[in-house]
Amino acid sequence: MPSTPLVKSALLAIIVTLVAATSWEIHLRQRGVKPDFDNDADLWTNKRKMVYEPSDQATVILGSSRAAYDIDIPTYEHLTGKRAVQLSMDGSSPRTVFDDLANDPKFKGKVILDVTEMLFYNNIPFMLSTPAENLAYYEKETPAQKVSFTLDVPLEANLVFLNQGFFSLNALLNLFHLKDRPGFQPDLPFPLEFNSTDFNRQNRMTDKFLIDTSLQNRVRGIWMMVNGMLPPPIKGKDLVANLQNLKVNVTKIRKRGGDVIFIRTPSSGPVAEIESKVFPKSEYWDKMIAATNCKGVHYKDYPELSDFFCPEFSHLSPRDAMVYTKHLVTILKTDKNWN
Amino acid sequence: MVFNSFTFIAFFIIFLILHNLPFSWKVKKINLLIASYIFYAAWNPPFILLLWLSTVVDYFVGRALYTQPNKHKRHVLLVASLIGNLGMLCFFKYGTFLLDNFVGLVNILGFDYHPATPNIILPAGISFYTFTTLCYTIDMYKRRGEPVKSLLDFSLFVTFFPHLVAGPIVRPHQLVPQFETPRNASRQQFFDGLFLLTLGLFMKSVLADGILSVAADPVFSSKAGLSALDAWTGVLAFSGQIFFDFAGYSTSAIGVALCLGFILPQNFLYPYAAIGFSDFWKRWHITLSAWLRDYLYIPLGGNREGTFRTYINMMITMLIGGLWHGANWTFVVWGGIHGFYLWIEKAITDRRTKKLSFLADVKSSPVNSKAPIAQSLLSVNPQFGLLKALLTFFLICITWVFFRSATFSGAWLLLLGMAGQIHQAQPVLATITIIKVGVIIVLMLTFHWLMRNTTVLQVVSKVPWWTVGIVWSFMLILLLLSQESGKSFIYFQF
Repeated sequence: MPSTPLVKSALLAIIVTLVAATSWEIHLRQRGVKPDFDNDADLWTNKRKMVYEPSDQATVILGSSRAAYDIDIPTYEHLTGKRAVQLSMDGSSPRTVFDDLANDPKFKGKVILDVTEMLFYNNIPFMLSTPAENLAYYEKETPAQKVSFTLDVPLEANLVFLNQGFFSLNALLNLFHLKDRPGFQPDLPFPLEFNSTDFNRQNRMTDKFLIDTSLQNRVRGIWMMVNGMLPPPIKGKDLVANLQNLKVNVTKIRKRGGDVIFIRTPSSGPVAEIESKVFPKSEYWDKMIAATNCKGVHYKDYPELSDFFCPEFSHLSPRDAMVYTKHLVTILKTDKNWN
Repeated sequence: MVFNSFTFIAFFIIFLILHNLPFSWKVKKINLLIASYIFYAAWNPPFILLLWLSTVVDYFVGRALYTQPNKHKRHVLLVASLIGNLGMLCFFKYGTFLLDNFVGLVNILGFDYHPATPNIILPAGISFYTFTTLCYTIDMYKRRGEPVKSLLDFSLFVTFFPHLVAGPIVRPHQLVPQFETPRNASRQQFFDGLFLLTLGLFMKSVLADGILSVAADPVFSSKAGLSALDAWTGVLAFSGQIFFDFAGYSTSAIGVALCLGFILPQNFLYPYAAIGFSDFWKRWHITLSAWLRDYLYIPLGGNREGTFRTYINMMITMLIGGLWHGANWTFVVWGGIHGFYLWIEKAITDRRTKKLSFLADVKSSPVNSKAPIAQSLLSVNPQFGLLKALLTFFLICITWVFFRSATFSGAWLLLLGMAGQIHQAQPVLATITIIKVGVIIVLMLTFHWLMRNTTVLQVVSKVPWWTVGIVWSFMLILLLLSQESGKSFIYFQF
């Protein structure tokens, strides 16, 4: 076989690849896209490992996406002097992770547990799959995966195109919207601008989202669709069993010296109306507080927390998140004696 | 660690620099061995002990097998080696499976027995390195070749990181001589190796993980029946996924080894262009099928004990080959179906051979009105080759249903869907996903057919350098875009 030097081919490949990658990166930045982190199992695992810090130095924040948007981590850390360990997961029930913390004998810390009723009281597979995957990754993380994550962090922090949800090959191919068959459930079409995740797993809406009502309406439409797809809420014996399980977990954490406080972050407009109707406060929140003998901060119980408006009815803007967090910390300290 | 990870990229760059420093060959080999242990430990450090144990025991047992004059003692040593290696494999890989089946059987017999399920972690690559050490000890028993002179070379033979976790399964004569003589990668080998590494990662990250698994996973995890379109798309996607995943690993392994100046055997030769199932097994996981042929099928008697025993030996080999892949009866059935296909093929081939022999006799006679028919039967019609290859691919896809499904009920439900027997099923795949799978599978089959009698490096050597450069950059760009890093290879679970 005649020898063919691949040196020139390799050099050409490197040059073309670098030019293409650089052009793509510049193009995305000119569109206003900023670097953010893929909210994957490895990032979650990185935070999960932090829960063992002493409770006077760290607080675990657990919930669904509202806790990740509405609790502003820098504000919380500045006001409390403690690290905020964000374990919330978008579109997921926090119960699996709460069970895991309760059954972890090494965990003795404090948990702020945010309740989004339609996720908190449901066991639909898609609400449980991400927590299960993240926990499995955490339990089986290999030394090689830890090193890969360490190497990946500076890349994700600085390269815009490293956004798997929107700029991966699959995501780009999926931009070719073709009509699907009747009955097919597509992924929820959240716009890129709705979410930016940083290394601490803080979610924030982008400036573009905050000024673009068409993007906000798109997300509002998604919430309406999701609400229409959910099964009827649990009631009666199922609810009692659900709250009993919650109580058992709270007790386990308290026995080890930790504590749990429940919060209910704000929602607005039709989303708030539906939630109030389907999950009346007296039937769910109040019963949960009574069953677990825990303290709770429901946004409707405090005037300073009730006036927020969520741009897409479900999550706070970054500026409002800072204000909400400030009020929350004050209420936790002064009203709930919870430090 | 996996090839498709930042950790491996950093590891490989560091090691390449180290390997090309002016150290003595012995020092380089020691570095290579330490690097291989680091490579393995990066998955789960304690299991290094298992690898050491297997390596050290088989080195000394192999030497003893070769030098021991007493036949009875040699038998005992061989049995000890087989029990040690296979025992270890059985415990880690089949322990829970055997227990579950024992409990099931006992319960059927009326005994109420429910032991706690042991939590046995499967060491990565155990199926591969166990077979690697077994072929050495069996070769030493048969006195095929000389014992490896040094423990260092033997350790490298077992632990050489490119092939350690998922093959190719190498024979001693293929790799040991390469460790015995100092070598550096030539410039051509180095760049050939980098090209193959890129190609392997492209196959794994872009095609298998990025595109095909997106279709295969929801189909195979569906608890409800599926339409024919979804079922076939998912099965075709998996047929592509398993090829690109495993062949991608092998290609990467060969490329990495080549960058270091070592040559590993081919493991895949465009298997979906196979015409018939014997041909398929000469093209799919070549090193495993060769191992099963040489260390199982032939010792059982091969085709030397008559037709009936040939069929039995063939089936036993395929059933065990299936079981090697995983501790589940679905893998055994997968192997059994392949055995059945080989039976049918052998029966047809045997009958055709008899007919051709008869007609050849007729042809040679002076008066042969049947000569034109004999001629047509004796010649192979190339137009039918592609059709036969497609038929072979279709039948192989059926077997993948059992390979991938976790349960028989799941496999049966999927087969019903493929046969169009499920009505008003809810679609699980987006239209764009179906199109992506269709395009990739058609391109894959076309590529396999066109490449069936050549290799990538042979083609690369004939193509203009700038064309290779463009294709190479295409793969690198798509690798960057796929952003699928760190997912383990399917064959790691074997």
